[in-house]
Amino acid sequence: MSGPELFALLPVLILAGGSIVWLMLGAFGLGYRTIVIGGVFSAATVALCAGLLPPATVEVTGLFGTGSYARFFTILWALAAALTLLLSLRYGANRHFGGGEYTALTLLAATGMALLSGATSLVGVFLGLELLSLAFYVLIAFNRDSAHSAEACIKYLVLGSVATAFLAFGIALIYAASGSFHLPEALAGVVSNGALHPLGLFGWLLVTVAVGFKTSLVPFHFWTPDVYQGAPAPVSGFLAAGSKGAVLAALVPLLAGFGPDWALLHPLVVGLTALTLIVGSLCALAQTNLKRMLAYSSIVQVGYLFIGFLAGNSGGFEAVVFYLVVYAVVTLGTFGVITSLSGSRAEVQDYDSLRGVGFRHPFRAATLTILLLSLAGIPATAGFIAKFGIFRAAIKGDFIGLTLLAVIASLVSLYYYLRPVLVMFTENNAEGNTLHPGNELEHAVLGVCLLATLLLGLYPGPLLDLIHGLF
Amino acid sequence: MNALPTFPWLTLITLLPLAGALPCLLLRKSARDCRGVALATSVAVLGLTLWLGWEHCSGSGWYVIEDAAWVEHFGIRWTLGLDGLALTLIVLTALLSCGAHLLAWRITERVPFFLALLLIMESGFLGVFLALDLVLFYICWEVMLVPLFFLVGIWGREGRGRAALKAFLVTLCGSLLMLVGIIALYLLHGAQTGTYTFALRELLQHPLTGPAQYWVCGAFLAAFLIKAPLVPLHSWLIDAHTAAPVCGAVDLAGLLLKTGIYGLLRFGFPLFPDATRLWLPWLMIPALFGLFHAAWVAYRQTDLKRLAAYSSVSHLGLVVLGLAVWNATALEGAILLMLIHGVSAAALFAASGMIAARAGTTQLNELGGVWGRAPFLGGLFLLFGMASAGVPGLGNFVGEILILFGTFSAHPLIAAVAATTMVTTAVYMTGLLKAVLWGPPADDAVWADLTWREGWVLVPLALLIVWVGVYPEPFLAPLREPVQFLLTTVGTLSGGAP
Repeated sequence: MSGPELFALLPVLILAGGSIVWLMLGAFGLGYRTIVIGGVFSAATVALCAGLLPPATVEVTGLFGTGSYARFFTILWALAAALTLLLSLRYGANRHFGGGEYTALTLLAATGMALLSGATSLVGVFLGLELLSLAFYVLIAFNRDSAHSAEACIKYLVLGSVATAFLAFGIALIYAASGSFHLPEALAGVVSNGALHPLGLFGWLLVTVAVGFKTSLVPFHFWTPDVYQGAPAPVSGFLAAGSKGAVLAALVPLLAGFGPDWALLHPLVVGLTALTLIVGSLCALAQTNLKRMLAYSSIVQVGYLFIGFLAGNSGGFEAVVFYLVVYAVVTLGTFGVITSLSGSRAEVQDYDSLRGVGFRHPFRAATLTILLLSLAGIPATAGFIAKFGIFRAAIKGDFIGLTLLAVIASLVSLYYYLRPVLVMFTENNAEGNTLHPGNELEHAVLGVCLLATLLLGLYPGPLLDLIHGLF
Repeated sequence: MNALPTFPWLTLITLLPLAGALPCLLLRKSARDCRGVALATSVAVLGLTLWLGWEHCSGSGWYVIEDAAWVEHFGIRWTLGLDGLALTLIVLTALLSCGAHLLAWRITERVPFFLALLLIMESGFLGVFLALDLVLFYICWEVMLVPLFFLVGIWGREGRGRAALKAFLVTLCGSLLMLVGIIALYLLHGAQTGTYTFALRELLQHPLTGPAQYWVCGAFLAAFLIKAPLVPLHSWLIDAHTAAPVCGAVDLAGLLLKTGIYGLLRFGFPLFPDATRLWLPWLMIPALFGLFHAAWVAYRQTDLKRLAAYSSVSHLGLVVLGLAVWNATALEGAILLMLIHGVSAAALFAASGMIAARAGTTQLNELGGVWGRAPFLGGLFLLFGMASAGVPGLGNFVGEILILFGTFSAHPLIAAVAATTMVTTAVYMTGLLKAVLWGPPADDAVWADLTWREGWVLVPLALLIVWVGVYPEPFLAPLREPVQFLLTTVGTLSGGAP
């Protein structure tokens, strides 16, 4: 690696370096709070650094891009990591998390996401994805006293390893068919005379399975509700926003590079998308546990995102990137509310335990309400603009059937998003209130998420222009 | 239009209630302060709208247009415009919102939140009536719905959760279709003319051609007719009405239903002239059916609020009939009836709420003797009931008779059938008045008569009803031009039912 390459990769290197430093400092006995706050600062530094350094044109070792697209996502994931750490401050202290490990793993996961989002080679995709998965295998199990947490970890680990195997094998097949790992060439190589090379097709199918697992596309979604439910709430939020988001962010340049040949895979993806929307919506309807509902809702959201991918060439890719940003903010916020409401014992998950929150903790209830409305795509929130972009691209790309399906899914989604809201605003007659009052820091973080959601809903122009400039 | 930048009054009016909601949420410790802020805001909005009306009452075309870039990436603009139709509706909105805030004095639980929701909803209504950009319109259209969900869902009677969800989901079903329609219209229009825009005035200049317009028009109609509501689509309204708190019901009957009709007039019909010409005559069938079906169901009700809700549906059926006939007289009548029904239905709901608060029930067989126990309240209730029944000299009669005249000139047979609505309405209304006003009281409790605050709500509405009934010209004048515009844009219908 040469000097310019290292310099171009600087933000990600700080992120990775921070991870190691805080792990060491943890080992030397520094307190939990100090380390977590230190982690927040190093993540914020990374975001600042990635924002201030001019985008580079070098490609680091032929694996990772460092252009404005990669920088954009480095900032996003670093900020997501910072918010996650801030939200975990009290939550983790109550549960005796090890500060060094927790901070190091969160930063490591963010490093993986940043690398994955900027990958320009299939090997880069593999490295980034594995880095972030490894970090999450541990983070999910961080609640050592919780059986759910351990169960979630085992599920994610076993299924994740299978997905990794599929990904590795798929990449190998694509390499066999095209003779290159590098993305534009690897893609061009598998298509000849307007048809996919059989080996290449098979390779792409395997990669699709791996991507489907990581993004919980139906029928590879079965782990999602259990893992979201079992993982510590801030980790669930980071997992939903970041791990999924980074994979999808990596897909954007990949599919954009595919060009018109992307249409060859359309029938398969249309089917999976439709299935995802239907199954996700139907399963979400029956939930009475907030985290499980959010898990199924995240499955439906991926369905919308894949519509954006399908309609990529008619503005869909930009819509997907905007959607990813909005989804990250909103998801971190919703899981943040759960984190903030949870005391030192079990988390607040059942709808029944949300009774009366609306009257006792109006700010957090209002925040959760507005964030859920944003997930449902109600106007004046960022979710509306995000969905508007997707629908616009989809209709432009002539995916009318999928658009109508997405409309129905949105309608259904309102039912399951509003159910917990109604519960929050019904009187709680039972005594024994186990909800935590939260502290100022958590309120401030949630306030940031809320403000961002409303601001992006009312004045999305600057961000849309910024994203437009990335392509 | 003058080149000098003028003060954006319409933007101010639209956003003022929203700005008033903020202190309500922040000052939530003191209910008294919140009531003061909320009432002051709504009175200020009323003052501004009346002033705008006075200023522009002799204007023509678009009195005021305010246009600014908003989300340029998607071509969404902040465009508000005022014409005669919008003017009458924003005055109605401001008036009923003031009434709702006075009625909200009865609410004692979580007052600041309640008032903030009422204010946000008022902003939504004003935005709907003023927006000339399709996406801005859609945003306001949804913004007015969310507060309503909470008003019904938190402060409503039993069954509120279900009713709130049902109302929200059913109306959203239409709205989402409309959203798809809006985007499709944007793309189709762009492909047809080369300019991609959501601006209503530009879209009007080159209506869609080809078969796609029927689908897009259908999507718009679905949203508006669910909101109106046309009869097979009306059941969300009944439940929401029954469960809603009084001020919610006032806004629901007085304003929410009007947004459906307004949407048809502003967007649904003029944007798709070919589809409109084809489909309008068919609208007469559900309109007529709804008129009588709702009247019959109203007759069978035993609950004051449900009866009033069905009466609303029946009246809206007549309004839709007036639209479907599509001539100047019927259209003017339909719009006037829509406006005055907003006043009379809101007043009827408000008065019912006052009676229900005193009696503790809304069951007709448990009510009675209001006339003797609270003469002023009873008298006003009688007036509003008679107005709804279409008694000559009161506002509703003018609208109804214009619709019937207009219908008669085009379809005498249908007019003859529709005219019998005067009888059916009178039947259930007299039943209602008899059950509520006369008969033996259910208990011996002494009732307070109309309080000053309640008087401030009901008396202006009563005066307005009488004014329109006696001298409707000032209210018809601003509607002439919008009606002529509609008739020239869409063209006249030919043939159709007898």
